[in-house]
Amino acid sequence: MPTMEIDGKKVSFEGKKMIMQVAQDNGIEIPAYCYHPGLSIVASCRICLGEIESPDPKDPTKLVRVPKLMPTCQTPAVDGMKVYTKSPKSRANQKAVMEFLLINHPLDCPVCDQAGECYLQDYSFKYGRGESRFEEDKAKNPKKDVGNHILLYADRCIMCTRCVRFTREVSGTSELAVFGRGHKEEIDIFPGKPVNNPLASNVIDLCPVGALLDKDFLFTQRVWFLKSSPSISPVSSQGENIYIHHNQGRIYRIKPRFNQGINKWWISDETRYGFEFVHAADRLRVPERLQFGSSTEISWDAAILHADEDLRGAVKAGGGLACILSPFDSTEEMFLQIKCVRSIDPQAWIAMTPVRIDGQDIVLKNPQTGAVTYTVKAEKAPNRKGAEKMMAHFGGNICTLGELHEKVKNKKVTAALLSSDPFPAAHVADYRQVLTGIQTLIRLGTRGGAVYERSTLSLPVCTWAEKSGVFENFEGRIQAFVQAIPPLDETRSAGSIFWELLGNNGPYDVRTVRGLMVAAGLNDYGNVAIPEGELKVEEMQFAAL
Amino acid sequence: MAFNGPILLKRIPDEASQRKLIRYDDYVASGGYKAYNQALAMKPEDIINVVKDSGLRGRGGAGFPCGVKWTFLPKDIFPRYLAVNYDESEPCTFKDRYLCEYDPHVLLEGIAIAGIANRISASYIFIRGEYHTQAKILEEALKEAYEKGIFGKAYPGTDIVHHCYVHRGAGAYICGEETGLLEALEGKRGWPRIKPPFPAVAGAFAKPTIINNVETLACLPYIVENGAAAFKAMGTPTSSGPKLMGVSGHVNKPGVYEEELGIPMGKLIEKYAGGVKGKYKAAFHGGISMGVLGTNQYDAPLDFDIGKAFGVLGLGTACVTVMNESTDMVKVARNCVRFYAHESCGQCTPCREGSAWAYKMLNRICDGRGKAKDLDLLLEIGLAQGIMPGTTICGLADGTNWVIKTILQKFPEEFKAKIKAESVQGVDVTVGGVKV
Ligand SMILES: Cc1cc2nc3c(=O)[nH]c(=O)nc-3n(C[C@H](O)[C@H](O)[C@H](O)COP(=O)(O)O)c2cc1C
Ligand code: SF4
Ligand code: SF4
Ligand code: FES
Repeated sequence: MPTMEIDGKKVSFEGKKMIMQVAQDNGIEIPAYCYHPGLSIVASCRICLGEIESPDPKDPTKLVRVPKLMPTCQTPAVDGMKVYTKSPKSRANQKAVMEFLLINHPLDCPVCDQAGECYLQDYSFKYGRGESRFEEDKAKNPKKDVGNHILLYADRCIMCTRCVRFTREVSGTSELAVFGRGHKEEIDIFPGKPVNNPLASNVIDLCPVGALLDKDFLFTQRVWFLKSSPSISPVSSQGENIYIHHNQGRIYRIKPRFNQGINKWWISDETRYGFEFVHAADRLRVPERLQFGSSTEISWDAAILHADEDLRGAVKAGGGLACILSPFDSTEEMFLQIKCVRSIDPQAWIAMTPVRIDGQDIVLKNPQTGAVTYTVKAEKAPNRKGAEKMMAHFGGNICTLGELHEKVKNKKVTAALLSSDPFPAAHVADYRQVLTGIQTLIRLGTRGGAVYERSTLSLPVCTWAEKSGVFENFEGRIQAFVQAIPPLDETRSAGSIFWELLGNNGPYDVRTVRGLMVAAGLNDYGNVAIPEGELKVEEMQFAAL
Repeated sequence: MAFNGPILLKRIPDEASQRKLIRYDDYVASGGYKAYNQALAMKPEDIINVVKDSGLRGRGGAGFPCGVKWTFLPKDIFPRYLAVNYDESEPCTFKDRYLCEYDPHVLLEGIAIAGIANRISASYIFIRGEYHTQAKILEEALKEAYEKGIFGKAYPGTDIVHHCYVHRGAGAYICGEETGLLEALEGKRGWPRIKPPFPAVAGAFAKPTIINNVETLACLPYIVENGAAAFKAMGTPTSSGPKLMGVSGHVNKPGVYEEELGIPMGKLIEKYAGGVKGKYKAAFHGGISMGVLGTNQYDAPLDFDIGKAFGVLGLGTACVTVMNESTDMVKVARNCVRFYAHESCGQCTPCREGSAWAYKMLNRICDGRGKAKDLDLLLEIGLAQGIMPGTTICGLADGTNWVIKTILQKFPEEFKAKIKAESVQGVDVTVGGVKV
């Protein structure tokens, strides 16, 4: 394997790679603004320059020094090469570029959202000169509203063009462009054409400075208070890998987590802003039971007891049970839910709440190469695949909601353990119909709604951010997400409810459940990779790279 | 060294009142398109070899050997394009314009010959946006050439048809930089490209492309007709051939003149331009981007070796702008840097920010608000720019660098004098650490 040396560190690499890539693969930091592994190389910010010694083509035992500084982001790595990014010449350039970038910068970090995760700050500290020698008047560029979620503080922009390249090469929508020339140039949109594409807000992550900011996050939290938990999108079957950034039980924003096979460095806006339901004002907080015609708050102990009694009572009375899965639950929860119902009624029918499909998949392409860059799935639930797999695993009486409707009408099914959809919307209307006339409805849900009104026992559950588990994306990838924030009030995970209903002692733990699943022959759950936990702020930045 | 009268300008009379547009028939009557017909009968390699042997170096500024550049085209990959650099936006430079305004066919013949030699499918003449009349003249000449079958016809023994187009720029200096030109030609922002890939491999529309200056191509008919030796007989061993030299500024008879390379600047000024008006102080000898020649460098020979010997970047366009003793060199520096700050395409941080910073500083110094410490900083900003230190993508920033550097170093006292008297008292004024 070819080897090279970067700042005295011997590293090996394979294939055609730029020096910058080799450095990043090996955890060596070379400062970079314009370079991004997911975008074309423009080598224009000029902070990554280094001195290079390359093997002499005529006599490979000898190294020849390239007389000028070379951009490490654009210079291919060569076997035997030596790169110096800490040499006096390289350092002098880093200092110069930092100074150039800051001369017209407003230096308003105290009121800038990016502070704490800003490359200008970090590189100033590491590579800058500490004080400014600029005595002229600063240019002052305006603030601009460039999209539903995006603000552009043009005065903080360093013209790295990452945002422009993203809209050209990834979203394929080209809303952003460079206008003007030289020091007068600015990033802007064309009149009346804001950045509202399905991937729009990725430009905020890409922006290495505080120029592109998220309106939803603006001034809500200093980033150094945020904790970061790896997770999976809860609103799409794509299985986008994300980080949940949260503090004191509140989610402030969602950021992409790199996954080459699924979302690369990006996420859809739908996933980024799809967490409001976690903090919805109408979240259910306490178990409730229909008693003497009215709903009464009860304790969890009483709720579990009643759930068990109600289900067993229905079977004793000659009725049958239904188990209705939610494609928003983790696979572990579904496994336990079916187990739970089938242990009371082995003939119980298993069905799934409807999956929302919004039109067609949105397929985004790079207009130049025609390559598909991103797909926003039409299917808006994270774990339909898991539900199907669990139904197939348990087999026996499986039916559609329509079929279940018949069985409820014929009084074959008299009680149901239902895990409900967190997004009560038009697409769930038919299952409200299905459940009309059922005698016992034990409903797990996060929010109220028509089905909630009809339930005999309401168990308030927590959202995906408040629990751990796995989701299986549309192509069957099993991906773990970890709990980011504590469950709201008295809410519990659906899994913990089923766990207790099954008569287990000890806390509900997803790893234990996965062990049971493997024991039941579901080997795929044997070695689910758990994404790294908490990230520190610096790591959050690197993750955004 | 022997120069016996004009080669490129042979059809254009010195006397302004006698100059007129040379049409196809006049051109042919005076021996035009003879070289083209000769070239048609030659093997492409042979043409390339003659050009190589002639030692013809690019007339656009960089002085790269023309024949060698042609050999960078990858073998057997077609179509190939030729981009003709008629952007001529370098300040002080107006040679290509003069030549083609009167004798457009000498360029077209050169293009036709380069086409034969390199099996070019399409030649794009990228003409500066402000050259309205010149574009019209060229269009008309091109129409004539098409009618006479110079273009739109397959090369003998091949099915490669050579087409030629005039493409008008939109008025930006940076579109004269060869890859900025290609971007502009493709309808994009004139942002110079990073290399590799080099234009010879993937140039215009990602196809192998040669880029040559107008004057470089205009030399081809002579070389093909008279052979390499005749061309080499003019100029110096490293700088062969004749050269168009536009002379302007404080001279008695500004204009475009033709001489062999290596002629001392002073001789050019006196022999052709009627001498300096007033007392010579400084000159830009090749557009502003090469830096300035100092008061004691009046006789610098204008050839490709001028750079090292006279502390300038290179020969550039060999268009000389003379400045006499009335010239304020600080204001000259400011004017030049204003140009770079205005024309920087804005990609590279050092060029985008550095040129504007230097301009603001120079403004302050010119306004009498300069400080003793400014000059070292100004020089530092200058030195941080350019492909030579490696900090930028294209050579525009080298212009900023060399203008600042050469004017500061060759005329430090003028800067010192501009700096506010009280701030200078008792304070050392240095340029690059050297006290002035
Ligand atoms: C900023 C900049 C501007 C340039 N402008 C011109 C120009 O206007 N005309 C020109 O012929 N070459 C210009 N050049 C040089 C070209 O990049 C290129 O070297 C030349 O066209 C090559 O042709 P030649 O080899 O025949 O000289 C410029 C270079 C730079 C860096
Ligand atoms: S807005 Fe941000 S991403 Fe876009 S060019 Fe400016 S600094 Fe770069
Ligand atoms: S050096 Fe200046 S003009 Fe040339 S590419 Fe860079 S920013 Fe543009
Ligand atoms: S990261 Fe290499 S030039 Fe910007």
